Amino acid sequence: MSNVWTITKHTFREALSRKVFVTFFLITTFVLAILIAAVLAINLSNIFGPISMKLKIDGDFETKIFSVLKLFLISPLYSGGLFLAIFSSSSFIPTMLEKGNIELLLSKPIKRGELILGKYFGVTSMVFVNVAYAVLGFYFILGLRFHYWDVSFLITIATITFAFMVLYGLIILIGILTRSSLSAMMLTYLIFYVFSPLLAHREKAFYLIESKIIKGVLNVLYYIFPQTSDIGSITSAIALNKEIASYQPIFVSIVFIFLTIGAAIFIFNKKDY
Amino acid sequence: MTNIIEIKELIKVFNDGRKNEVRALDGVSMGIPHGVVFSLLGPNGAGKTTLVKILLGISYPTSGSIELFGENFRNIQLKKRIGYLPENHKFPPYLTGEKLLKYIADLYGYRPANLDKRIAQMLEIVEMSKWSKTKIKNYSKGMMQRLGLAQAILHNPELIILDEPTDGVDPIGRKKIRDLILRLKAEGKTIFVNSHLLSEVEMISDSIAILNKGKVVYSGTVDELTTQKQIYEITLNREFDDYIKFKLEGFQVVDWKERKFRVKIGKESELQRIQQILQENNYLLLGLNQVKTSLENEFISLIEKTGNENE
Repeated sequence: MSNVWTITKHTFREALSRKVFVTFFLITTFVLAILIAAVLAINLSNIFGPISMKLKIDGDFETKIFSVLKLFLISPLYSGGLFLAIFSSSSFIPTMLEKGNIELLLSKPIKRGELILGKYFGVTSMVFVNVAYAVLGFYFILGLRFHYWDVSFLITIATITFAFMVLYGLIILIGILTRSSLSAMMLTYLIFYVFSPLLAHREKAFYLIESKIIKGVLNVLYYIFPQTSDIGSITSAIALNKEIASYQPIFVSIVFIFLTIGAAIFIFNKKDY
Repeated sequence: MTNIIEIKELIKVFNDGRKNEVRALDGVSMGIPHGVVFSLLGPNGAGKTTLVKILLGISYPTSGSIELFGENFRNIQLKKRIGYLPENHKFPPYLTGEKLLKYIADLYGYRPANLDKRIAQMLEIVEMSKWSKTKIKNYSKGMMQRLGLAQAILHNPELIILDEPTDGVDPIGRKKIRDLILRLKAEGKTIFVNSHLLSEVEMISDSIAILNKGKVVYSGTVDELTTQKQIYEITLNREFDDYIKFKLEGFQVVDWKERKFRVKIGKESELQRIQQILQENNYLLLGLNQVKTSLENEFISLIEKTGNENE
């Protein structure tokens, strides 16, 4: 385990040295500053009141506005934050595999699996820190403005980081297979922004499809692809204090993480460098 | 005493997935004893780097056996006893020299109480103390190479594998690296050098092996390779005349030059006969030496010879 910890620490440091994570941090700080200005200067009920009515949120008027605000902050953080996280993390494995880097690592008394796990936890912890900074910022600004301290909102730190963990397993696997950060990034974007949302809403498409085979294939694909769209829905439900419809995407995603990381380690163990 | 490295019938076949096979190593066998400077030579594509990578578990052999320190080389803990300087290494550019050595110590699980002191000592040895707190991205190629050496010997390994250690280093720096290698040898370390610079290898190596097209075409000392046992150079006290040339006609004289000549000897008795003829004709023998060629000459002729044989 100490080897995994060493690689994790070093990967965290490597992530810090990359400008994109600092950019993410600065963007978050900028958003938080705007949020502070907004809650102080703008009459939020004029903007978010009508929206809260449409979203059918329970509670008094202040609570509704509070919930809508949370959703307005968490949704962009989920899609935009993960966009940035995928962009910045997809090159870690191809860089590690570059000639001159990989020899230095593989010549040390470290198992190849430990290298992969160290990279995985290092990058994930960096994303966790950035997400936690943003969510905690939102939490304190909204809490001070509305005097409403919704601790469950903080759970979104875990769900957003978890969504990244699912995608990063895939990024590592593609990185090991192709040694290309561009391939890893493009394929992950495709899954995150196209396949996962489409498959999550496949039941709506079933009205237009008669073939049982195609329906079956779509169902199978839904369970094969990472269910990040559903994790996004869970995140929104938490932000809105709504009941979570199903925990199944969480369990399927955990299996997905084990499978992708396991496959990445297996292939990495077999390869010559 | 067992060898520190024992390789038997090592084969490595690369397959590009289109049924094209490349035999990078073709039945390589060699043994490297403790406490020597061993150099592996060969032209580009001979299989040198592949062999080093297999020793370190970076690549896998197709077949054959390797023992390091008398144990199966697959034991990952053995890597703690090996220091390695890769060719064209890329150290994390955002680290300082000092931080890199701390990171490398972590990777080796090397945590002595006086680690900071040891790091300072290593940087001192490679004359990098002045730049210990400078980020690696600002280092020159020579500085990178010196830092590479420091990280290879930091954890006090028994076996040090250096891949092109003087690459990009100026002549003074090269001399210092050679001195360091000899100093490590004096401390009882075994040094495995992979290099193209034959003149340097010649100066420091106790034994060498030459690889060509995946096969060991020579294994032994530099002296054994460069000493031409059959050719002698004879130096006389005065220039020779036509009469003595006539008297030596029965021998294979290969080169006449003022007061020197070279002769190819089949039997030892021939040498005695030549000495006798010279004495009878009032020539004083000032020198009698076996002719030596450079490692470079022998290397080239060996590669050309074995290259032709393989084709």
